[in-house]
Amino acid sequence: MLTRIKGGHAIDPANGTHGVADIWIRDGRIIETPGGARADETYDAAGKIVMAGAIDIHSHIAGSNVNAARLLLPELHRGTGARRVQTPLSNAEWGTFQTGCLYAAMGFTTVVEPAVAPNDALHAHLELADIPIIDKATLSVLGNDDYLLDLMRAGASASHVRDYVAWTLATSRALGIKVINAGGAAAFKANVREFSFDDVVPNYGVSSRAIVRTLQRAVHELGVPHPLHVHCNNLGLAGSAGTALATIAAAEGLPLHLAHLQFYGYGKEGERGFSSDAARLAEAVNGAKSVTVDVGQVMFGQTVTISSDVLRQFNARNQASPKKWVIFDGDGNGGGIVPYNYRASDFYNAVQWCVGLELFLLIEDPSRVFFTTDHPNGAPFTTYPEIFALLMDRDLRAQWMATLPPAAVAMTTLASIRREYSLNEIATMTRAAPARLLGLRDRGHLGAGAVADIAVYANDTDRAKMFRAASLVFKDGELVVRDGTVTQYRWGRALTVAPGHDQTIERRMQDYYSDRYGLPADIMAVPATAIGRPEPFEAVPCAK
Amino acid sequence: MSHAWIDGRPVALHVATAEAARLLAASRVPVVAGLGTDIAGARAAIALAERIGASIDHMNSETVLRDVEVMRAAGIMLTTPNEARLRADVLLMIGAGLVEAWPELPERLLMRPPMAQVDAITAQRRILWLCPGGDPTKLAGRAKVHVVGRNRKDLPVLLAALRARLAGRPVGKTLLAAKALDAFAAELRAARFGVAVWSAAELDTLTIEMLCGMVADLNATTRFTGLALAAADNALGVLQACGWMTGFPMRTSFGRGFPEHDTWRFDAARLVESGEADCAVWISAYRAAAPAWTRQVPMIALTGQDARFRQKPRVHINVGQPGTDHDAVEHDAATGTLVPAVAKDPSKAVSVAAALAQIAAVLPSPGAWPC
Repeated sequence: MLTRIKGGHAIDPANGTHGVADIWIRDGRIIETPGGARADETYDAAGKIVMAGAIDIHSHIAGSNVNAARLLLPELHRGTGARRVQTPLSNAEWGTFQTGCLYAAMGFTTVVEPAVAPNDALHAHLELADIPIIDKATLSVLGNDDYLLDLMRAGASASHVRDYVAWTLATSRALGIKVINAGGAAAFKANVREFSFDDVVPNYGVSSRAIVRTLQRAVHELGVPHPLHVHCNNLGLAGSAGTALATIAAAEGLPLHLAHLQFYGYGKEGERGFSSDAARLAEAVNGAKSVTVDVGQVMFGQTVTISSDVLRQFNARNQASPKKWVIFDGDGNGGGIVPYNYRASDFYNAVQWCVGLELFLLIEDPSRVFFTTDHPNGAPFTTYPEIFALLMDRDLRAQWMATLPPAAVAMTTLASIRREYSLNEIATMTRAAPARLLGLRDRGHLGAGAVADIAVYANDTDRAKMFRAASLVFKDGELVVRDGTVTQYRWGRALTVAPGHDQTIERRMQDYYSDRYGLPADIMAVPATAIGRPEPFEAVPCAK
Repeated sequence: MSHAWIDGRPVALHVATAEAARLLAASRVPVVAGLGTDIAGARAAIALAERIGASIDHMNSETVLRDVEVMRAAGIMLTTPNEARLRADVLLMIGAGLVEAWPELPERLLMRPPMAQVDAITAQRRILWLCPGGDPTKLAGRAKVHVVGRNRKDLPVLLAALRARLAGRPVGKTLLAAKALDAFAAELRAARFGVAVWSAAELDTLTIEMLCGMVADLNATTRFTGLALAAADNALGVLQACGWMTGFPMRTSFGRGFPEHDTWRFDAARLVESGEADCAVWISAYRAAAPAWTRQVPMIALTGQDARFRQKPRVHINVGQPGTDHDAVEHDAATGTLVPAVAKDPSKAVSVAAALAQIAAVLPSPGAWPC
């Protein structure tokens, strides 16, 4: 089967393409223009924008914490709409099936669920398998788990830590490792209520800094493409910029990714002791070339915060709206679910909204700042089109700012920023750069050999409208969306890495599970046959 | 040996599934009930229900939904059985039925101290048991069990009084003398990582809410959390699959095309007894349980062997037991998560998922079988 997407304006920063070009597809891959061949099917993209499918590196779409949020808040997702015969259950609001459809409609084709507890990996992968169309991946969470902290307390060798990290990646079928408030959740179990980068976890005697450093080096030395993904301490607090700056400095020239930086973009200036420190953070990111960040933009409206930062969620529980919450002390991190309503009239929320946009606009290199709302923590992913529009239009930003408390806007630099993102920069931030960050060589671009994940948009001056409903979306070369509507299901894969590890770690883990829990380590397994889909996983090569 | 029957007569499996499809297609208000099955079976059942506009319910919904109701009305603090095992210095056992709900509980939690490797200071475990309704002292091996109140009827008032005293509020006369009540409250406050253990099978929602409120209150100064014991027949596994596929727990209907959740309207037993339901799928793969309803309704039963029904099902298929006859994924009481269960004694018995897929494949209504 030979498919041709004809005459569109291709924007493919990974290959330096910016102009009218035909895209040819065979067997699910993009190919060079075949000489003299006739396409079996042709799609006219004249006047339209053609990009690779977008990649979301940080969106909480699956796993037991997400599912607990669904069960906590039935009033927020009442069903509507008729049954859709071709896409059953896609009218179940906030269900897995709807998640895949909404992402695909916007032209997203790969999404990373960034917080999977290793002992919950099977559950997360079962949910991911029920998210249609798109490909998925998980990051496994370490850094509050007894095994690692115990190793560090005992002064274990770097190779033992590496083997443990590699074993965790392979066993939980993850694409990378995340650390969430390193040591903070373990400290909370010992009744600690504040935990910073140089604080020490009771009983284990290791600092948050040491945990981040240990995991950063293990991930790097294993050749895992995605650097350690860090959720810093002190999320959401006034003055948290200091924590983020300390973490950036601790990267020491090695790759490190800081998640949802917006939630750390706060100083303590002003009457209310809450201000934007985004400019200082952006400057630090601009200077630290080995560091990447994603934003975690806030948008106004009702949402729910779902985080494995159980300490932070516990401390935020009294801000819950509606007034109910779940706090879960899990085997490692656990998590907390706190519903929240971001209001444009609220001083603090308005500062948060400005801080996110400041970071987007003040960090110069669009290949080091990633597009996220930390779904659903800053806002649901369905707000992405509005955020693209805000990045691309300073007049639109001015209109929004005019509706916010002036005292809040005054605590930020947003009003002075004139930068507007180009479509090429949007494509870099949402396609080329995330593929590189995750080590997905055949994604995020339109060159020959790439997976034929392609989004075609009407070149509408209303950028929100343009990005809300793609004209055409192809997944693995198959047309899945027409005019923003998913026309049929197909099943994606979960992308995984498996750097090798010494076999002795297998026995060590069996011994550990037997000793601590009286259980076999096999309870952690994610067998491919348990997922219930053909070929549920796709291996991504490591550098070593 | 036969594995499928129509009106008690042995038939080939494909004949049984074809008859089941015919019954469901002719039905206007079908229910898919029991749902004692693994994740694959639950997924297939939910997908089938969506296709035919049925409601879904689990045989242990009543129990599961008590905890869910408390969570979504008031919030909840929870931990895993393994964290309780490693860290709990105080185990607050609530009421009766705990060992019945989790037979391994004495061995996994009561009989062993917390792990000194995890927290050397709390390497002692104190077990307090409120209103056990029997004598639990022998269950804990060498660990001492301190029993407070014997009669399970006293539990709600005792919990309320305890929570009031923890908040420094006066209480009237209770089962315990004021001094003893305050000493008990002080003991809870002194816990470093306390875990309250309960089984919703034995408690009403107000009692669970009082308990969860007390646990939350204790966290003002110390750490305390909860361990809600799981109901049988993979009820929590089915709850999870319902959650991600529909957004809601069981007792959700697709009768209007979109998922609608209502714990009263979509109680399968109520739907059958009231005559609203005109066809029922009954699933009990872990056992051979029969439905509790008494009204006659055309029934398609997928059960383990030797099921005994009040009324003969129109279609009856013997299915394999998840984790015994075939590999499965199910909720595990020891970990509190979904785990893979490798078949202990693999057989050719058809799984619930496979039987339902066969039924769906011959349904006359339009639509593929895509989820």
